Amino acid sequence: MSKEMMKPTSKDLEFSTFYVGTTLCGINILKIEEINKHFNITTVPQSSDYIKGILNLRGRIITIIDLGKKLGLDSVEKNKDTRNIIVNSNDEHIGLVVNGISDVVVVREDDIEAVPSNINGVKGKNFKGVLKTEKQLIGILDIDEILKE
Amino acid sequence: MIETSERIFDKPGDKPQKTNTSIRVNVGLLDTLMNLAGELVLGRNQLLQGVSSSNTKATEVSSQRIDMITSELQEAIMRTRMQPIANILSKFTRVVRDLSQQSGKSIDLVLEGNDVELDKTILESINDPLIHLVRNSVHHGIEMPDEREKIGKNPIGIITLKAFHDAGQVNIVISDDGRGLDPQKILRAAVSKGHLTDQEVAQMSEKQKMKLIFLPGFSTAKEVTDVSGRGVGMDVAVTNVESLGGVIELDSTPGEGTVIQIKLPLTLAIIPSQIITVGNERYALPQVNLSELLRISAAEVKDKIERVGDSEVVRLRGELLPLFDLSKLLGIEETYIDPENNDELLERRKNIADRRSKKHALLKDGKTRALNTFEDTKQERTTKDRRYHAESALNIAVVATGTFKYGLIVDDLHDSEEIVVKSVGRHLKKCTAYTGATIMGDGKVALILNISNIAQTAGLSTVSESVKLAKAADKAAETCKDKAALLIFKNSGSEHFAAPLNMVERIERFKTSAIEQIGNKKVVQYRGGALPLYELSQVLDVESLPEKDQQEVIVFKVKNREIGLMVTPPIDANEVNLEMDESTLRQPGISGSMSINDHTTLLVDIFEMIKRLNPEWFADET
Repeated sequence: MSKEMMKPTSKDLEFSTFYVGTTLCGINILKIEEINKHFNITTVPQSSDYIKGILNLRGRIITIIDLGKKLGLDSVEKNKDTRNIIVNSNDEHIGLVVNGISDVVVVREDDIEAVPSNINGVKGKNFKGVLKTEKQLIGILDIDEILKE
Repeated sequence: MIETSERIFDKPGDKPQKTNTSIRVNVGLLDTLMNLAGELVLGRNQLLQGVSSSNTKATEVSSQRIDMITSELQEAIMRTRMQPIANILSKFTRVVRDLSQQSGKSIDLVLEGNDVELDKTILESINDPLIHLVRNSVHHGIEMPDEREKIGKNPIGIITLKAFHDAGQVNIVISDDGRGLDPQKILRAAVSKGHLTDQEVAQMSEKQKMKLIFLPGFSTAKEVTDVSGRGVGMDVAVTNVESLGGVIELDSTPGEGTVIQIKLPLTLAIIPSQIITVGNERYALPQVNLSELLRISAAEVKDKIERVGDSEVVRLRGELLPLFDLSKLLGIEETYIDPENNDELLERRKNIADRRSKKHALLKDGKTRALNTFEDTKQERTTKDRRYHAESALNIAVVATGTFKYGLIVDDLHDSEEIVVKSVGRHLKKCTAYTGATIMGDGKVALILNISNIAQTAGLSTVSESVKLAKAADKAAETCKDKAALLIFKNSGSEHFAAPLNMVERIERFKTSAIEQIGNKKVVQYRGGALPLYELSQVLDVESLPEKDQQEVIVFKVKNREIGLMVTPPIDANEVNLEMDESTLRQPGISGSMSINDHTTLLVDIFEMIKRLNPEWFADET
């Protein structure tokens, strides 16, 4: 965890950050159910190409989505850093495969800036905003928008 | 509907669903559930004890106990969801009474099997199709009272709604004693609405004609009323029933009434399924859709699988069954394990009947290498013929939904299991090939196949398919009709002839010395009489017979007299299609020519021949 982490106050937001390709992205931590390394995935023929398959997570069937492909970037190749972020979107649990997990950052709401018209070729509407840290920019993802059909 | 059943099973802690439905459960049943829960806890304690003390025996006993309790618990929980069908059937008394008053008909409704229980979700979704079918019976089936009296029926029509259990399914039968379905009227409506062409119609069976009423947009009603005539009904009823995993069957006798039978599964939450493998994944095939499993051994594949156009079929007990490769339908890349070095390679076969060959695999890499390996494999093949490996056998699951029946080629067949149906996420809703997913014993997920949707993606359309089959059947009947048994023989070296077998009495062989020449006629002593002998050259413009020691004679019986025709062997009986060319080689005594066994064969007209030889035999006729 980084040094700049502070105790969150009611006005602060916490973002879990992770890599999709080389892009650092963040999701509001309250959206996340869990992060795991389950990859015993059953492929689903005839589904969209960004769908990796389905997974049994303690008796629930969960759709696993390749976040890289979904955002129009390169597909996420599996290695030791690959993680599965289970998010809760519209009462459904959905797994997002990402290239690696990074820190949890705490920011004030007004620190988030509007999306520049073009970040790394990703469609702007998938982002809620951009967060500037000392090292890098973090794209804040709009999960509900991304997971819309 | 699976979605709703799934929600009921969801764990507490989920956001409550907006539907706040409740269900009435017998207290006795609740007590049973409570008891079973108690036993389950007991079983768990025993199991934990057995495991911690590493007592295998105790563990085994308690695992058996838990197995039993789980089954009982499953059944009891299922029963809480079961509702008597009377809940919906009782409504029909009113529906029928209102409708019959509106239309001026008098109808009695008979309800049977009120205590049959069905899963709540099924019960809810069967309501609409049932209402439609009963309305149909009232509106189209039952005649007006005076009309009924005229044809000697009781002026009061009877509609029966009967529910009963049969073979693990619930059957609902709607029958009426009305006018029944008129196939001709259905046909006219189908043609005028453009569902079918006249040609297609001509080739349909009565049963197929009746099934036309299940077509979307079909209606025979001349005008649209608030009861019927919009043409959406039957199609929707069938779709609803099929989406519940059920089947609709129709039977009707004109003038006597119509019987519609609906077969439904008891519950949707747990279904028995056949587990199959395609590619690297397992799939569940609902047992209701499965009619049989076929295995065609590697040696037989070539003979049994036939190609019609670009589709493959298998002949199953005289019926042509369309075949589909499930991996192709689903778009899975087919692979196979090379038997020599265990590499997984992409499938390259185009036809099922094609055998695998190393030669083509390597041609892609380079020709020289291909040649070398070709030599190698050639040598290996002398020891073991790869083409007839047991692995090359075809596994076919023959599946059927109400209107479709086809064979699915799968990689492997496994056990039949009871699976718990779970719904899939919203991103997969548009993949219509699956009804849901299930969790297998090892924790991995398997998809449940939707047989009727797969048939549709495969381009298997009900009507066209049945028409096609009807055409094939008609063609078969036609060829049967035109098939004739012929006796095929030769005159001299290269002239082939045939005569109808039914006119032939016997085939004899005489010594040439026994044949007597009297005037210009030849006779032979035969069965205490003289048998006149002729040869074809006497009548026809053909070569005369060569001299031989023995002479083969075909004995014909015409007008109760026997005559012998001298011929040259081989003489062979054969059943052939009568596709005669009646012009090219036509001459007196020959009715035409056709091709039999790649020889142009002339069909001898025995009557005309004898008429020319012995006109006096026919004198009394003219």
